[in-house]
Amino acid sequence: MSAGGAGGTLDDVNRRRLLLASIGGAAIIAGALIGALALSSGGSSKHTSTTPVGVGRVALLEFADPQCPYCADWAKTSLPTIVRRYVRPGKVQIVFNGMAFVGPDSDAALRAALAAGRQNRFWNVIELLYENQGGENSGWVTDSLLRSIGESVPGLDPQRMLADRTSKAVEEELVSSQAFAQQSEVSSTPTFAVGRTGSQLQLVQIQSIEPSALTPSLDAALGQ
Amino acid sequence: MSDRRLRATILVLSLLGAAVAGYLAVTHLVHVPVACATGGCETVQTSRYSELAGVPVAALGVGAYVVLAASAASTSDPARVLGFTAALTGLSFAVYLLYVQAVVLDAYCQWCLASDALLILLVPLTLLRVVRVDPPAG
Repeated sequence: MSAGGAGGTLDDVNRRRLLLASIGGAAIIAGALIGALALSSGGSSKHTSTTPVGVGRVALLEFADPQCPYCADWAKTSLPTIVRRYVRPGKVQIVFNGMAFVGPDSDAALRAALAAGRQNRFWNVIELLYENQGGENSGWVTDSLLRSIGESVPGLDPQRMLADRTSKAVEEELVSSQAFAQQSEVSSTPTFAVGRTGSQLQLVQIQSIEPSALTPSLDAALGQ
Repeated sequence: MSDRRLRATILVLSLLGAAVAGYLAVTHLVHVPVACATGGCETVQTSRYSELAGVPVAALGVGAYVVLAASAASTSDPARVLGFTAALTGLSFAVYLLYVQAVVLDAYCQWCLASDALLILLVPLTLLRVVRVDPPAG
């Protein structure tokens, strides 16, 4: 005997109600779980000022100035290794906290990178800025250079990037990232902090800009 | 299929699911690499989607399978409903996690896929226990 046929008995009605309640309950519980997971995983480091790269449960926060030569060296030599070993496998996400303490060109470069970040192209632009890094405050961050960089990044609207440099959003990001660096007592670049994504990150004292200077901290955070 | 056989099948599938989820939860907690043929297990296991409020997502799976197994041990209506609710919740969540693997992480975990397959089987089996009326005993 099956309740699937033309019913009408109390048992059938009750079963249908139970079935509906069961489906509703499952939808609510699954919805809550999905919402909670999406929310908790969507948040990156609390200290992010840029779109993080990567999906890892460990965050590597970099305090850097676009004019700092060591930052450029780190980006060219060590960053690719960190990305290959930790970011691509989904273990670590990198967050950039910009600083502009070297001088006016730092401010100009950081504004452009943050403006590019409004189009999800922050990392492309900061990498190209490092590659084109000129002498400290020599006036190397010209509109012409930025336009050229902007035009070389696929999917980036250079005009919009240049216009967004003075937008309220970029201004706020600039102020908050500088304030966070100050609050973290970061006085030199590059400075790094490591920890579980979304938690309080710990500053890492590095002795060199080789990848090996950071890998023990990343491995330790991943092993926690 | 008699309710007895249905319950036995649900129990076996649930225990298999608990073993799969348990393996993922333990390897996640003790940080041991997962045996993997698809190549993406570590990416999934170490991603930020692998934990919810500090609890391994796989451990939530263990909980769901334990509820399913317990529901198979009883013939009562609440147990039948609980079993179906657990299976449907598990499958809904699994579909989201499959989306995360495919779209966000671009990596697949074979153990997660095995669990998905078990849930796909468990949903109709537990549904059958809710909708049908058993003949009187004897």
